[in-house]
Amino acid sequence: MARVVFKNVEKEFVDGNKETFIAVKESNFTIEDKEFVVFVGPSGCGKTTSLRMIAGLEKQTRGDIMIGDRVVNKLHPKDRDIAMVFQDYALYPHMTIRENLSFGLKNLKQPKDVIAKKVKDASEVLGLDHLLDRKPKELSGGQRQRVAVGRAIVRDPQVFLFDEPLSNLDAKLRVQMRVELAELHKRLEATIVYVTHDQIEAMTLGQRIVVMNKGQIQQVASPTDLYQKPENMFVAGFIGSPPMNFIDVIYEHGKVTMEGAQFELPEHCAHALRAYEGKKLVLGIRPEHLFGEDITMGVPDTYALTSTVQVVEQLGSENLVYFRVGERMVTAKLHPDSDARVGQMKKFLLDMSKVHFFDVETEKRIPMKFMSA
Amino acid sequence: MQSKGKIAVLGVSITMLVMWGIITIIPLYWMIIGSFQDSYADASMKISMWPEVWSFEPFSRFFDKTMAWRWLLNSLIVSSILTVTNVFFASLAGYAFAKLHFPGRNAIFWILLMTMMIPTQVTLIPLYILVIDVFNLKDSYMGLILPSIVSVGNIFLMKQYMSTLPTSLIHAARIDACSEFGIFYKIILPMAKPGLSVLAIFSFVFHWNDFFWPLLVTESEAMRTIQVGLAGFKFADTTDFGAIMAGATVASLPMIILFFALQRYFLQGITIGAVKG
Ligand SMILES: Nc1ncnc2c1ncn2[C@@H]1O[C@H](COP(=O)(O)OP(=O)(O)OP(=O)(O)O)[C@@H](O)[C@H]1O
Ligand SMILES: [Mg+2]
Repeated sequence: MARVVFKNVEKEFVDGNKETFIAVKESNFTIEDKEFVVFVGPSGCGKTTSLRMIAGLEKQTRGDIMIGDRVVNKLHPKDRDIAMVFQDYALYPHMTIRENLSFGLKNLKQPKDVIAKKVKDASEVLGLDHLLDRKPKELSGGQRQRVAVGRAIVRDPQVFLFDEPLSNLDAKLRVQMRVELAELHKRLEATIVYVTHDQIEAMTLGQRIVVMNKGQIQQVASPTDLYQKPENMFVAGFIGSPPMNFIDVIYEHGKVTMEGAQFELPEHCAHALRAYEGKKLVLGIRPEHLFGEDITMGVPDTYALTSTVQVVEQLGSENLVYFRVGERMVTAKLHPDSDARVGQMKKFLLDMSKVHFFDVETEKRIPMKFMSA
Repeated sequence: MQSKGKIAVLGVSITMLVMWGIITIIPLYWMIIGSFQDSYADASMKISMWPEVWSFEPFSRFFDKTMAWRWLLNSLIVSSILTVTNVFFASLAGYAFAKLHFPGRNAIFWILLMTMMIPTQVTLIPLYILVIDVFNLKDSYMGLILPSIVSVGNIFLMKQYMSTLPTSLIHAARIDACSEFGIFYKIILPMAKPGLSVLAIFSFVFHWNDFFWPLLVTESEAMRTIQVGLAGFKFADTTDFGAIMAGATVASLPMIILFFALQRYFLQGITIGAVKG
């Protein structure tokens, strides 16, 4: 019913010096009905602007936006059948929680008993029943957050818009609310567009994720696909923690050469890279796909590089081991029992089925068919 | 030691402040005390710091000889209406300049600000001609009120104040199907209450004490405001100190009461001015 579609949407701002700044560039995507889509990216990349354009709080400079089957370009926010949860919650400070929840419904001239019932239902779902007669300033951060969600729920919209709703909560509450939001999505059966700069929030909540950088969409994919098949170096470096390692290599005659190692590539890799004969490439490998030599896990010994351990961080569940390859610092996520010590020369094995190659110029991933594991 | 130095500094500051307070309060004290001694009657022309005989005669003479009740009423009408119009228009305009986007917003605001740079003396004569000759408003409430319906200074103050209110609330209300005027009336005004109270109090005090414009526009005794009337009374009757003092007391009493009743807001007003230039 309520898809959200962006067609070549762009947003330009004109600043005080009459210079135009493009906040969102050539944005194209389709959010399916009842889908939970997360927009993620670094600060200032245009996430909030995109969300505001869906809400109608900001008018796009070019392009079309559709909600459901309607082009909503000229529709007022109240007519778009959306509800929004703001980062600072934006609760009306002079109204009680009950008044906050019912304000929108009153404006829509809904009958009193309907409003009362909707407020009651929503406050029960969110555990706000005993707080209805308080003012927002008498609530804790987590409770205010629930009220903000409640105000959206009572509207019963086609599309929910969330702008970093958890960023003002402490870490523990954030995890709890994350779970509650996921449950809420199942219960509400509504389309949700959710903005965050926290990639863990994005990975755990989103059915699909839109990764943005500098106003441009980098990739739209499921969490697994983003992790396994990042479109480019930005996505690869943004998703996953610690981020993917990048190593400068030169490709020649089916072999890659880097500082401290040279090895022959499997057949399918070499085939995909044949256009790059004699050229520089960037090899990408995630920290969790590097192994200390003691735990080989079936990884052939041929794909190994040797370097001096620079730093070891013990996190309890794992050890993060840092070492240098050429100019770049590389991280390996090793088993906590691994014996890595600072200053030690150590051999690291690469899981070649998890290795990516990126074009140096375009920073795009060079696609290759993996043998099924 | 350090604490000794601190005490010395504190002592000096307190002494200075007390002295400053006394200097400030003496004229006020003298005015009030003066209005309770009838030097006119015994022809001594003397006002002492403490009256030998307390008398209400100066007050009754002031009210008998003049149209003081009418003047007070005039002042009350003019100041109240101007307070309402200033709060109303300055908050609307301030909100628009702070939070709404419309073509020419900055240009209009700059033009308004520029009018603040022009001294009132420069515009006084054209304004006088406009109000008296063109609009023919001499000696009327309209003539007293119209030129001050809203001041640019108040618009500026409200713009600064309104821009401190979070924009997300306006967005939330817009999504909540609230009309644009509803947003102003139901969301912005209640949130801006502290700022509006300060503006209201300052407007009232300013217009109550205003002298020059009412002097120019009013002609008949009946249209004078209390300040203008009092000045005229001083000219007419230079010898009756007691009654002059009584008149001055009457004219300032509402302000004194207002100040003590709303002290909190006066102090707040000082900080509001301090937030942004
Ligand atoms: N009203 C505006 N006028 C001018 N520039 C703006 C305006 N709103 C946003 N921008 C600019 O557009 C860019 C994108 O802003 P946006 O708020 O969408 O970022 P974001 O991705 O939500 O970042 P964050 O994670 O910090 O919230 C920023 O560089 C910002 O400075
Ligand atoms: Mg944002």
